[in-house]
Amino acid sequence: MSNVRQRAGLLTPAMAVIGVLLVLPLCLMAFVSTLERGPDGGVIWSRHTLDPYVQFLFERDLMDRLVLNTDYLQIFARSIGLATTTAVLTLVIAFPIALWMAFQPPQRRTFLLFVVTVPFWTNLLVRNYAWILLLRNGGVFDRLAQSTGLTHEPLNVLYSPLATGIGLVYSFLPFMILPIYVSLEKLDRRLIEAAFDLGANRWHALTRIILPLSMPGIVGGLILVFVPCLGAFVTPALLGGGKSLMIGSLIQQQFGQSRNWPFGAALAFVLLALIVFALVLHALRYRRLAGRLT
Amino acid sequence: MKRFGGGSVVALDGVSLTIRSNEFFTLLGPSGCGKTTLLRLIAGFETQDEGSILVHGQKLDGLPPFRRPVNTVFQSYAVFPHMSVEENIAFGLRMQRRSRSEIASRVKDMLGLVRLGGLEKRKPAQLSGGQQQRVALARALATEPRVLLLDEPLSALDQKLRAGMQLELKRLQNEVGITFIFVTHDQHEALTMSDRIAVMNAGRILQLGTPEEIYERPTARFVADFIGDTNLIEARRVASGRFRILSGVEVEADGAGTIEDEVTLAVRPERVILGAPGQGPLAGSIDQIVYEGTDTTYHVRLAPGVRFRVCEQNRGGARPRFNPGDAVSLSLPADAVRVLVE
Amino acid sequence: MTRAGDLWRFPGTRAAAFAVLAYLYLPIIVLVVLSFNASDSSLARWEGFSTHWYAVAAADGNMVHSIEISLTVACIATSIGTVVATLAALATARTRFRGRIAVEAFLALPLVIPDIVAAIAILLFFVMVGIQLGLLSLILAHTVFTIPIAYLPIRARLEGLDPALAEAAADLYATPWQSLRRIILPLIWPGILSGAMLAFIGSLGDVVVSYFISGPGSTTLPVYVFSMVRMGVTPTVNAVSTLLIAASASLLTLSYLLGRRFN
Repeated sequence: MSNVRQRAGLLTPAMAVIGVLLVLPLCLMAFVSTLERGPDGGVIWSRHTLDPYVQFLFERDLMDRLVLNTDYLQIFARSIGLATTTAVLTLVIAFPIALWMAFQPPQRRTFLLFVVTVPFWTNLLVRNYAWILLLRNGGVFDRLAQSTGLTHEPLNVLYSPLATGIGLVYSFLPFMILPIYVSLEKLDRRLIEAAFDLGANRWHALTRIILPLSMPGIVGGLILVFVPCLGAFVTPALLGGGKSLMIGSLIQQQFGQSRNWPFGAALAFVLLALIVFALVLHALRYRRLAGRLT
Repeated sequence: MKRFGGGSVVALDGVSLTIRSNEFFTLLGPSGCGKTTLLRLIAGFETQDEGSILVHGQKLDGLPPFRRPVNTVFQSYAVFPHMSVEENIAFGLRMQRRSRSEIASRVKDMLGLVRLGGLEKRKPAQLSGGQQQRVALARALATEPRVLLLDEPLSALDQKLRAGMQLELKRLQNEVGITFIFVTHDQHEALTMSDRIAVMNAGRILQLGTPEEIYERPTARFVADFIGDTNLIEARRVASGRFRILSGVEVEADGAGTIEDEVTLAVRPERVILGAPGQGPLAGSIDQIVYEGTDTTYHVRLAPGVRFRVCEQNRGGARPRFNPGDAVSLSLPADAVRVLVE
Repeated sequence: MTRAGDLWRFPGTRAAAFAVLAYLYLPIIVLVVLSFNASDSSLARWEGFSTHWYAVAAADGNMVHSIEISLTVACIATSIGTVVATLAALATARTRFRGRIAVEAFLALPLVIPDIVAAIAILLFFVMVGIQLGLLSLILAHTVFTIPIAYLPIRARLEGLDPALAEAAADLYATPWQSLRRIILPLIWPGILSGAMLAFIGSLGDVVVSYFISGPGSTTLPVYVFSMVRMGVTPTVNAVSTLLIAASASLLTLSYLLGRRFN
């Protein structure tokens, strides 16, 4: 399979499918974000305007002047905040289990890996729905709290940002465990033995050797959690009750009730730009990290 | 004693050793003989099922590796890839919370000792294998351990570099005056570097002695066979100091025992004297001649199934003294023949 | 094997690990248990074992139709995606060529881009090109996402293959095609199978993309359930969710066992 033409032939179908059905649409989306919205939904293909991006930052007051409108910025800030919190929380929860898994005997390791991936492959919708059953008033946790006398008020957790957070952490936890586990498993055990040998106790071995050397996995996990969290749509809709708007729901609204496709496309494009920015930052950081190791 | 796998495999059995301080001590044996396990027990990475390990009278049993006055140079070096040369060497000192100025001066001393001056800011990936080896050495020596354990540290280096490092290690050991316990499967390495050698096989120590004792006076068949090249001949003791190797062919050797005993005799090929027919007591013919650069080895057939290898230095050039098929004779000096216990 | 002071045990990690495993499985177990609850309130009050809600789900014509749609889409998209991904993996595995990283990044794109962005981009594309939202649009969109999912395990399997095998086959007069058919494919089929299963699970589980591009009468099961859940909790959803969990868990187990047997 060394032949260049052969390779091109083998790659063409995959590249064509992704190119035509994803990359081309993304370009189209960028194009649509510069169009004027149609009178009753849709777009006017021939009329260009930057209004969607202006709308993101400003609104027109009664005198038709542009005034700064931070509503959408706030939604973005809230989403970024939620995604960051989720990423950090999953890291805190995931690291100990990844560490424990990595130092198990090999046979048990593959089994544990399987056990951790099963929820990961379980339908996202189902996983979120299960949390509704747990969190709703009259649900499992509520009943438990009331019957143990912990509280006599309804819990009122469901349809709150807290519920969204719980759901997001739960949904994306495997995304964090797996890359950290992989980097810990690859870690040369003799480096840790050498640290012990030179007088490092467990804490020092952990902070000076294991943590720095598992950085690629940790950063990878943070990215893998942060990116989908930022665009999360199902979890806020189901568990947050759509009360505090997130980017995902905002975009969806433009294609639903608001029927403002150009604005929706612009929002999606800004989200994409944010993520590309995060990824580039990661790539640069990673290169520095790799530079430090070489 | 050390057992692995739920007690079914005994990795070390009845090993009892006293290593003198400031000694260059080598554990020599084939892979799987238990030498690395013994080293890991001393370092504290594994625990023995029975018995004790003492360093300078201090019991190490139950102490984790980070509380033992023993440091290790790993086979793969295990130099921390995210730390500079300097940071690697300072690691153990930092763990012991030595003062900043002391760390700086120790690191400087160590860099000088292993001749890595000027490379302190480098990362391990920017160093050659030999240089990484030196970092590992300096790192292990920096905290002045009582004992330095070296787990086949030279096996990853190429031949030339290895010879250089052998001398270097020996020099270092003289300079720092620390007990070195060196593990290797390379008999040449063991012979050149060690003060004393313990030859191990299947979890036991077979012979303990100076390189000269081990090579010249092996007591076990395994030791004679494993170290250097040896002619091993089955023989029957016919009188005190006399052994019959073929009907009518007897040799003399030291070693008392019961008459009619079946024994194995070991003779180093370079100790056998090869001559024209009639010159020596054993008659044979040349089967094969192998030219080996510095030496030539003659394969001499005495009787069907009884062969001797004779090694001669090529003092007079590459020209062999005999040709295949030539009739020759062999003589075995009495002090060259070792009687082995099984 | 005993180890000195259990060096490799970091205190607390074991307890933390079990807590996390409990956290991961608790919601799923609660859901499965409640799906067999006889109570019609779907509250957490156990009123006896019953498969009643499965019967109710089976009687829901819309739901059954959405299951049919989901399975059709998943089967076709997975088949196309797996074949395409296998070809791509054959081209990229075990070789170094210029642009390899770019190609791999391109192939991973569907997984990197947030699904909501991909969903509206594809929606706009279909509207502009004039493809009716329905079965066809679903299959096309799902195919895009099955490619990277299937690609990764197949490539991993190929990477693990001794390159000398193909060379040995060529040496013994096999043409590239014969070597592929007789040597490579038989050796990587566990990878292909596990890639296909993961792709199938992925397609079956997709909510966001399907939500935007399924037209009237072509709702997939997750989209149907999504709209039901937004209306409120009904015990039927418990039953259907349990079925979805069973489907993905059994496929995953199969792929795990396959992997264990062939590694």
